[in-house]
Amino acid sequence: MGEHADGHLPPKSTVKRWLVTTNHKDIGILYLITSVFVLIFAGILGLLIRVQMWSSGGLILDGLGYNQVVSAHGLLMVFWFISPFGFAFANYFVPLQIGADDLAFPRLNAMSYWLYLASILLFFTSFFQGATFTGGWTMYAPLNVPAFIPPVAEVGSLSAILGLILFTTSVTLGGVNFLTTMYRMRAEGLRVRDIPLFSLSVLLTVWMMLFAFAALLAALIVLSSDHLLGTTYFSTEGSGALLWTHLFWFFGHPEVYIVFFPALGAMAEIVQTFSGRRLVGRKWFVIAMGLVAVQSFIVWMHHMFLTAINLPIKSIFMVTTIGISLPFDLMVFALIYTMIKGRVRWKTPFLFVLGAIIIFIVGGITGVFLGAIILDYSFRGTYWVVAHFHYAMASAAVALVGAVYYWYPKMTGKMYNEFLGKVHFVAAFVGFNLLYFPLFVVWDTPRRVFQYSEAFTIWHRVASVGAFIFAASFLVMVYNLGKSLYTGDEAGDNPWAYTASGEWAVSSPPPLENFPGKPSYTTGELTFEDSGVADGGVAEGEPAPDGGAATVTEHEQHADHASWWPMLVSLSALITGLGLSGLETDYFIWPFLFAIAVFVGYLGVEGGRRDGFSPIHGLYIAASFPILAAFGLVFHLHHGIPAGLFEGGKYFFITIIGASLGSMTLISLGWESFYVPEPELAEQWPFGEVENTKLGMWMFLGSDIIVFGAFIGSFIFTRFVYGWQPYFHDAAYVHKPTWPGLLNTYILLASSFTIVLALVYAKRSEKWKALGFTSLTFIGASAFLVNKGIEWVDLYFHQGWTFNSDIMGSTYYLTTGLHAAHVVVGMLILLFLIARMFTGAYMGEEESQTIEYFGLYWHFVDIVWLFLFPLFYIL
Amino acid sequence: MGLSTAQFAFEASGLLKEMYVPIMAAILGISTLKALAVSGWYMHLVEEPRAVTYVAIAAVIGVIALTAGAAYSIT
Repeated sequence: MGEHADGHLPPKSTVKRWLVTTNHKDIGILYLITSVFVLIFAGILGLLIRVQMWSSGGLILDGLGYNQVVSAHGLLMVFWFISPFGFAFANYFVPLQIGADDLAFPRLNAMSYWLYLASILLFFTSFFQGATFTGGWTMYAPLNVPAFIPPVAEVGSLSAILGLILFTTSVTLGGVNFLTTMYRMRAEGLRVRDIPLFSLSVLLTVWMMLFAFAALLAALIVLSSDHLLGTTYFSTEGSGALLWTHLFWFFGHPEVYIVFFPALGAMAEIVQTFSGRRLVGRKWFVIAMGLVAVQSFIVWMHHMFLTAINLPIKSIFMVTTIGISLPFDLMVFALIYTMIKGRVRWKTPFLFVLGAIIIFIVGGITGVFLGAIILDYSFRGTYWVVAHFHYAMASAAVALVGAVYYWYPKMTGKMYNEFLGKVHFVAAFVGFNLLYFPLFVVWDTPRRVFQYSEAFTIWHRVASVGAFIFAASFLVMVYNLGKSLYTGDEAGDNPWAYTASGEWAVSSPPPLENFPGKPSYTTGELTFEDSGVADGGVAEGEPAPDGGAATVTEHEQHADHASWWPMLVSLSALITGLGLSGLETDYFIWPFLFAIAVFVGYLGVEGGRRDGFSPIHGLYIAASFPILAAFGLVFHLHHGIPAGLFEGGKYFFITIIGASLGSMTLISLGWESFYVPEPELAEQWPFGEVENTKLGMWMFLGSDIIVFGAFIGSFIFTRFVYGWQPYFHDAAYVHKPTWPGLLNTYILLASSFTIVLALVYAKRSEKWKALGFTSLTFIGASAFLVNKGIEWVDLYFHQGWTFNSDIMGSTYYLTTGLHAAHVVVGMLILLFLIARMFTGAYMGEEESQTIEYFGLYWHFVDIVWLFLFPLFYIL
Repeated sequence: MGLSTAQFAFEASGLLKEMYVPIMAAILGISTLKALAVSGWYMHLVEEPRAVTYVAIAAVIGVIALTAGAAYSIT
């Protein structure tokens, strides 16, 4: 990895460039290509659906095949295509629009992309494991739990679920990164309210992503536990199915806007540019977007009108649902009025956006029908819903196709063929409406099955013809854009007149360093204050001077470093996910225990190599052997060696490889020198004085609050359904472990105090005291886990209260287990910090910030316990 | 730690059984107090720009909305 320590990226013509890049524009292109690949695959699945629907009873697929195709089409389009398609542009253009050199955490950005790719590959793998998930894109319970999944699809279903977990992780990292960037790295003079509309829509999108995807992550962790550990959350009668719908739609409705908002921002920019005037009512447009972002979290139960929720709550959510349509009305009128007040130029990007607005209006109006309880009783589960959400969500895709044409000249420096662009638009618009409008006409067709009234046949055939026209229209685009890349006219820096955002102020394509000088918005538009390369960085093609990692030399002033680790960490995650998909419950914990031994040993090896060998590294290497021996002994007692190893099967070994590789790659990532300068002059309201990493940590904690909150909320919901007070009285254990809970509260509070002391002494550069208190924190965490282990062993083995004894056991073990997993992660980080502190790192006011960031995480883990203790041990 | 012991004492003394709802409220109130203390001083939210606190509060409101909405929806 050392050859790129100078921060210079390999040329774009090499494969290596695309594996190691951390540059936001490169990653934007990677997102774009990958998401288009997903579109093609999911589009083919969509065509299969329309072929099947040619006649009632189907043409080419059996029931299992059709269920797979329908589920995979929905999952791929909603999760792996539309949102990443929008974020391809967000990656490429947000830094350019706000005047930043890159995102705040470029390596994390690369990791987001590679985790996204890993999640796709894991999902695709599920097709080759018998069958993929068959229960629909909403994954409703109990169709998502093993007892209700066809045996042939059991392994593939878990791959799909784990793939979604990787995707959610990718999204969370991306959310933290974009929020930090947009709050901390705006060019001088750029207020939040003045951010170009596309970037502003992305800002609101990432806020929604941060919270909504955290709820989905919680739901998916619980679901994978129902598969891997045998917990019974979603199969519990009375609460299980409802709990899934609550968690899923608390995520799912904001997801609609997460998908739509980047497209909405692009629509606003394109309408402005091709109408030749500023957006009418821009301020109110922005306020309306903000309102929708907030309201999106209080409408989720309109997806549940046909479940067993009570009428008063349905009425409340009908009102909030109708309410959320109002800001959208305002935004649509603002777009239309801008066109009326301006002078429209009918270029391809504009045509697609106009088409998207028309499609969205149809989708929006038909959605209001579904928001009315009484109408929803009739429409739910029919093709009305199918037609509505395709009009609503595919309008985003149509608008983003317009964005492809809009930004293609900027990204490539070439102009596409306008005539072919218009041909594409006409064919796509006609095909789209032929495909989806007939589905309103035959709305009484039941969803997710391929039997329907014979009278509907002609309309379904029209839809199928429309689907092929719509798909074929994209061949025109591929030809047009592909050919233009080589033979198109030079586009120039700004091929469209009346553009209003920063990316048009730089060359096409933009240079590696983004700007020819220090960007500033103090005059109201983007200008550059210095000539030469921004921030003293290195221009593409120039050799960079070599330098050490410890001092900030000229070449380190820019953020374009190369790193293999984001890709390799994600590869580890893919392998681990693949292993887990087929792992037996009895074998779940062992690969991770093995990986701990690898982690400790490799920490010693890599630490010695990077920081110079010292006793702490020797201690780690030496400690890894007894840990490994202990692992072997306990494994032998439980499963037997060698018989147990082979009974674990191939998935057991794959998980061991993935988890071990993950340990090693994460350590190497942690040790890699990767300096990203914070801009000297930047607008940072309202987070001035909060460094990038600290803000990033707080954003992550915001997300983690939702994850834990969703776990605790799930427990509270389940307990309410069961009956609050009898809940633990009816549990199949002999006695409640209140004492161990109290003891662990003491221990954790004390460990929070010791890490505060460690920070105090690190700031004063008193190394041994800082090291002592950090080690004490580690010892406290170990004591917590030992106590927890004794408690679990007693409950699980001696009292016979297991994961699936009852729902109380499921909620107790999984919620306290998630917390314990956080403690373990904290301990692994502590081992890393201790190794580095031993050789003198983190001392002084500035350097000690790393300990402060860890402390934030540790205190949060402490706070969570403060609520788990009463909820699970006292009440 | 004293507050945690108090929470435990409510249960050990049998008070929780006698007056479940008010004692439950007191126990959860104590947890909230402890959480505010840890976040305010250990995580020094009192010294950070107020916007950082708002990030955490927004997430907590989200959790409350989900939990309260879901719990209230039970027939």
